[in-house]
Amino acid sequence: MVISDLATQTILNGLLLGGIYALAALGLSLVFGIMDIVNLAHGHMLMVGAYIAILLFAATGITPLVGMLLAMVLMFGLGMLLQKVLLRHVVDEGLEQPIIVLFGLALILQNVGRVLLGGDARTADIGIPGSGIDLGVAFLSFPRTVTFVVAVLLIGGTWAFLQYTKTGQAIRATAQNRTAAKYMGINTDQIYVITLGIGTALAGAAGALLSMLFPIDPYVGWSYLLKTFAVVVLGGVGSVLGTLVGGLVLGVSENLGALYLGGGYRNVVSLLIFLAVLLIKPEGLFGGSGGGE
Amino acid sequence: MAFIEKAPGESIATDRRVLGIAALVILWLITVPFTTTDSLTGLILTGLVFIMLGVSWNLLAGYAGQISLGHATFFGMGAFVTAWLSTPTGAGFPESIQLPLIPAMLIGALAAALIALVIGPVIFRLSGHYFAIGTLALAAVIELIMLDQRELTGGATGYYIQADLSIGEMVSHGDVMFYLTVIATVATVVITYLIVRGPTGLGMKAIHDDEDAASSLGVNPLKYKMYAFVVSSFFAGLAGALYGHYTLYINPQSTLAVTWTIDSLVVVILGGMGTFAGPIFGAGLFLLLDNGLSAIVAGYSEAVEGILIILFIIFLPTGLYGLIKEYIVGETTESDSAHD
Repeated sequence: MVISDLATQTILNGLLLGGIYALAALGLSLVFGIMDIVNLAHGHMLMVGAYIAILLFAATGITPLVGMLLAMVLMFGLGMLLQKVLLRHVVDEGLEQPIIVLFGLALILQNVGRVLLGGDARTADIGIPGSGIDLGVAFLSFPRTVTFVVAVLLIGGTWAFLQYTKTGQAIRATAQNRTAAKYMGINTDQIYVITLGIGTALAGAAGALLSMLFPIDPYVGWSYLLKTFAVVVLGGVGSVLGTLVGGLVLGVSENLGALYLGGGYRNVVSLLIFLAVLLIKPEGLFGGSGGGE
Repeated sequence: MAFIEKAPGESIATDRRVLGIAALVILWLITVPFTTTDSLTGLILTGLVFIMLGVSWNLLAGYAGQISLGHATFFGMGAFVTAWLSTPTGAGFPESIQLPLIPAMLIGALAAALIALVIGPVIFRLSGHYFAIGTLALAAVIELIMLDQRELTGGATGYYIQADLSIGEMVSHGDVMFYLTVIATVATVVITYLIVRGPTGLGMKAIHDDEDAASSLGVNPLKYKMYAFVVSSFFAGLAGALYGHYTLYINPQSTLAVTWTIDSLVVVILGGMGTFAGPIFGAGLFLLLDNGLSAIVAGYSEAVEGILIILFIIFLPTGLYGLIKEYIVGETTESDSAHD
């Protein structure tokens, strides 16, 4: 029974972690779906968001849940600035240029992170009192539960924004057909700016949530980029529900892989799942197109 | 052979002038170990390794249009397979498989090419962004697996290579490695030149420009992608084997690290992507900038690399090569009009 309890616990922890993966992946998926670029710096943006929460917590003791809001605001600004200053030169210029610009940005963020904060891993604490939920067969720890709920709420909020607001509808229209959206009077340049802002803010939020669970160092960017892209591929580009399911699948399979194959294979499992899905069903398990479907 | 002739405006100058400069550069390289310090020789050797990495990555990315972010895998696997053959006891292999360094390096490079040959048909089912991220993920998987195989790779402690090619007192191991690297670099450049100037190079450019159109005209995209991938991986593996046996120490976390992919990419972007001489200029510029700037802004070398590739790709997408070409072409047209 011990093993089965352990497996149950592992699966539940994986589901809770998967919610945060889904949140991070939603940002990547939005940008990919609408601007047709893969943000190679997405993992590094997540790292920056995590550091904002960690530094705020270390300096003032304010819970990273508030730090998350600050990270979202700052990262929203950074994303908009990025599009206005750099990416507008290269978006819609083919494949190579955006990939290389974002690759360069990832290098800059990683390097600046290392110099300013040192190479050591740091972590924050949830910083508010509370207790976990005991389900009998397994235990849902307080920080994992709270971060999961917040992640799902943010995903729901993003979905509602895309579904019901005028800007959200304009974003979806741009994703479906940019030229037609332009003829309908949508300022697609502005939509790109907002989209990259939202994508970056979601990365920052996911980073802040992760900082309460795992140590973060300046080099985590690549690993989280691959994980979030794996979720996007699992869920299908532009599908909010698919992204959520993809995140949960990845979280669970990663934790089970770590349980049965050893901690060193945690990332190998997620990467192999990713490659397998990419090769067998590149449109994703829940393939869809267009934003917010 | 009409299609072996160079396309108009592709080359900086006549082949004869280029050959003359190349001969001078090679003559200068031969004197390097005797006229400079060991550390400067090492620096130039690193530059040659960058040329091999850049030229090979450019063949795949610049000519065939496949942005691979997994170049480090082939560099690192070439280094490891060569190390297993030159120092088999380090990985627990019997001493009987030990080979002299040169055949060991060739087998190491062939092993890198073989990996490309095996994974190519699978990974080329992906295209564009998916190919870029897929190769990045594959490189990460291979790095993690190699790191975990402690008995084969030394894990985080790394792998010490025992090789001594020194000849008497005069010529050190590093000097011999330097000459081997010069030969390998010349071979890389010449063979790649013959490929891109030949019909295969035309096929690669065709699928780069418009894969569907090329395909409908009877050009098999997979064939040319595989060609570029295998050749590119062979030279990357050779570069890894040479560098590993120059430093005599390799480590899964550094030899297979994404850093080598970044360096290949930076060299190509600085020099000019998809131009033949680009990576050669790029390697020189990169070496100068890397050493010059690291003295000024210590610790920020990665950020500097990031800023450079962003600025180059946005404002100077033809790279240093484009700049030089523009300068020379501008100069000749001016002098031509002066004669009129």
